[in-house]
Amino acid sequence: MYLTVSNATKLYGSFKALNDVSISIEDSEFVCLLGPSGCGKTSLLRIIAGLTGIDKGEVLLDGKSLLNVPARQRDFGIVFQSYSLFPNMTVAENIGYGLKVRKTPADKIASRVTELLNIIKLPQAANKLPGQLSGGQQQRVALARAIAVNPRVLLLDEPLSALDAQVRSELREEILQLQRSLGIPTLMVTHDQEEALALADKIICMNQGVVVQSGTPSELYHKPATRFVADFMGTSNLISTRKIRQVMPALLSTRPAGDDDLYDACIRPESIKLQCDIDGESIVKSIGFLGNLSKIKLDSPLGDLIVEIHGAIDLKENQKVSLDISASNCVWVINDVIGSST
Amino acid sequence: MSELSIKRLDGDKLLTIVCVVVPLIALTLFFIYPMFTVFLRSITLADGSLGFENYMQTLTSSGFWRATQHSILMGFTTMVFSLVLGFIIALGLHRCAFRGKWIIRIAIIMPLLAPSLVQALGLIFLLGRNGVINRVFGLDLDIYGFWGLTIANTLYAIPQVVMIIGASLVLLDARTYEAAEIMGAKPLRQFRDLTLPAIFFALLNAAFVVFIVTITDFGNAAVIGGDYSVLATEIYTQVVGLRNFNMGAVVGIMLLLPTVVSYYIERKAMQRQQGGVSGDIQAFVPSFTPRRDIPMAAACFFIAAMILAVVAIVVYASFVKLWPYNFDFTLKHFDITIAGGYSSLWITIAISLGAAVGGTFLIFILSLGLVRLPAAISQTIQVLAAMPAAVPGIVLGLAYILTFNSTSTPLYMLYGTATLIAVINFYHYHTQAFLTVMTGFRQFPTALEEASGSLGAGLGHTAIKVIAPFVSPMLVSVFFFLFMRSMVTLSAVVFLTTPQLDVAAVTIMRLDDAGLTSQAAAFSTCVMLVVCIALGIMKLILSVQSRRTRHSSKEIAS
Repeated sequence: MYLTVSNATKLYGSFKALNDVSISIEDSEFVCLLGPSGCGKTSLLRIIAGLTGIDKGEVLLDGKSLLNVPARQRDFGIVFQSYSLFPNMTVAENIGYGLKVRKTPADKIASRVTELLNIIKLPQAANKLPGQLSGGQQQRVALARAIAVNPRVLLLDEPLSALDAQVRSELREEILQLQRSLGIPTLMVTHDQEEALALADKIICMNQGVVVQSGTPSELYHKPATRFVADFMGTSNLISTRKIRQVMPALLSTRPAGDDDLYDACIRPESIKLQCDIDGESIVKSIGFLGNLSKIKLDSPLGDLIVEIHGAIDLKENQKVSLDISASNCVWVINDVIGSST
Repeated sequence: MSELSIKRLDGDKLLTIVCVVVPLIALTLFFIYPMFTVFLRSITLADGSLGFENYMQTLTSSGFWRATQHSILMGFTTMVFSLVLGFIIALGLHRCAFRGKWIIRIAIIMPLLAPSLVQALGLIFLLGRNGVINRVFGLDLDIYGFWGLTIANTLYAIPQVVMIIGASLVLLDARTYEAAEIMGAKPLRQFRDLTLPAIFFALLNAAFVVFIVTITDFGNAAVIGGDYSVLATEIYTQVVGLRNFNMGAVVGIMLLLPTVVSYYIERKAMQRQQGGVSGDIQAFVPSFTPRRDIPMAAACFFIAAMILAVVAIVVYASFVKLWPYNFDFTLKHFDITIAGGYSSLWITIAISLGAAVGGTFLIFILSLGLVRLPAAISQTIQVLAAMPAAVPGIVLGLAYILTFNSTSTPLYMLYGTATLIAVINFYHYHTQAFLTVMTGFRQFPTALEEASGSLGAGLGHTAIKVIAPFVSPMLVSVFFFLFMRSMVTLSAVVFLTTPQLDVAAVTIMRLDDAGLTSQAAAFSTCVMLVVCIALGIMKLILSVQSRRTRHSSKEIAS
């Protein structure tokens, strides 16, 4: 464990922004803190950075406590959503600032800045002011500025959220390559599950100040622990135990023991197979054609279902179909969203 | 198109033109023409020919040089003091965490509520020959002259420094500081590398504003300047006392020079800020750091206490029997019979109301017309409308006396009337009023106006029923701004008062001149009371308005 936060609690008045949260980051690992706004992910990042205090708990880096180390002595790098470059300094001065503060000789700073400008593909921008650059370019500079000092941990606070779609996907790719080649342990805060899936070695999914589940992107997608995770990570069909028992009792074989209200079934749209069947009990309500796949809405005995099928399909609206769901594709999730069971 | 709608269209066009032309004629008549006159007068020689001999004459006269040297020395000292002290308060308010900031905020608006000679009066009660300090410690300090004037002007100027620097401090994003913090920069280093460069232009601007205000301010110089002659009092003596109009004109034109430089710096500063600032700014929220905040709080409260003390002591002194010997309560100083008694207070209130009503109306119709004109024309007029800010009050006063005291035009009729004083007060503060209302108009959604128009309302109707309510907070602010400024201003109007027509600030000066310092204090107290009441009414109206707006927008939402 390179960086660990254990039992962190953070209060704002009577509001618990973080409630007994524990996470860890391995060396060279890319970790995403994922969750809706207000879930506490930014508070956690700011605590790790040293920008906000902690009410209870411990932060350890390489086994040493960080709690009494001020932010400026932690040797971290940070990138904010709003770029936050120093407006009165040139791009080169921005990138070299951390080295200058560390009293690095000027020639070393210059060569490091040149190297970084090439990495972020902005070799011509050295003497420009931040105001003269586009949003994407400013964020690249902010990234170069953060890694210039070879930080022990790189912190990214929604770095892509302010950018438009195309620049966002380009920069996403660059961040990934940079992180892989430099091997800096990285913690990124995001509310975008697609971003987290594409970038992270490990995703920590948070809601209402607690960690709901953490694991690889694949684990979180295929084996969501709770209804919240299933809902937040892509689309899913969430069905109550009662319905399953009535309609497809075979799926109950994988269900852990417990009250009906304790678990719901989560079936991903791509794991439902459809068969044209005049005696089928389900009806196709609408077909959304998305090119490589089709999104089909069904009226079924399990309730309204969403099904995704790759490639060509042979279905029409109002057609009767029968469903085929294998028990291995039915994941049982804890019903943590109160009053939403169907 | 029906005949009716053609008529309506032409009616709107006509109304737009009237809206722009009427205020524009007034601006030409009461600002551009007087300024042109003062310039012409400065190059008109005794025999009627044109030339620069007046400048030569003035520049070589020893009285002028002495006054200039004094003004520059005093202006510069005031600038350094008020910049340092104002900077400390601005940092305290925006960068430090401590309780009781509201006291400092009150101290800062104080000088806006009192004529600029109140600081001098307060200092006299405190440090003058019959001041508390001299009596209690048995000293014989002489406050009249350089130091008295410098201290009074510093106390008057600090709030303006705080406002200018504060405005640039709030534009700094907290995230930038956090980035610097994480990159390893210590607080002092952050201050040097981030704060100072960002507020450099604001500092420079504040320096110039203070310098100009100080060398052109009349009130404190007249009350506490003593034998220390400065430009403002020198001009007054030359023009009003000796009728030396040509020298007045020359000095008036020369006083514009530092203002031009300051104007240029402000433009530069604005351009620079536009380049660097991104849309959303995360406000800097300081956390309590004892080592930094306790000394800063102490310094801020000390400075604020000084600003408050000189004003408070004037109010206090107006209620005691015989300063500083007998501190028994009395109201006898308020029984003012000489120097016209309270008549000048009532006249000043009438003048201020006139300036506020007329000014707000003219500004409103000008803005209403301007947003309907093509951008090229509108921008030219906007530059024109923003020009009066560049003219110090004393120069405007000079320009008025040179223009309206001459019998060659029918405008002479206005000379010596309360109307002219209302007019000069309005044009003195034209720019701030105009910019406030224009800001309101820029926020006005054009779709709303188009909707009203497409429902068949003409411009006149739309202006009263749709636009005026929308910009009404700005109109209210401008109305009270003009009123309060007109109540306390001195340097512009001092040239236009006559023995038959005094304004409140001039009466205070005359009472003090006559040695009736306690009566001067009592009169100042009355003026401040009127201004405070006006401020209270303004806050009340604005809060009622904002509550009503919130209420109605809630209704729309639900």
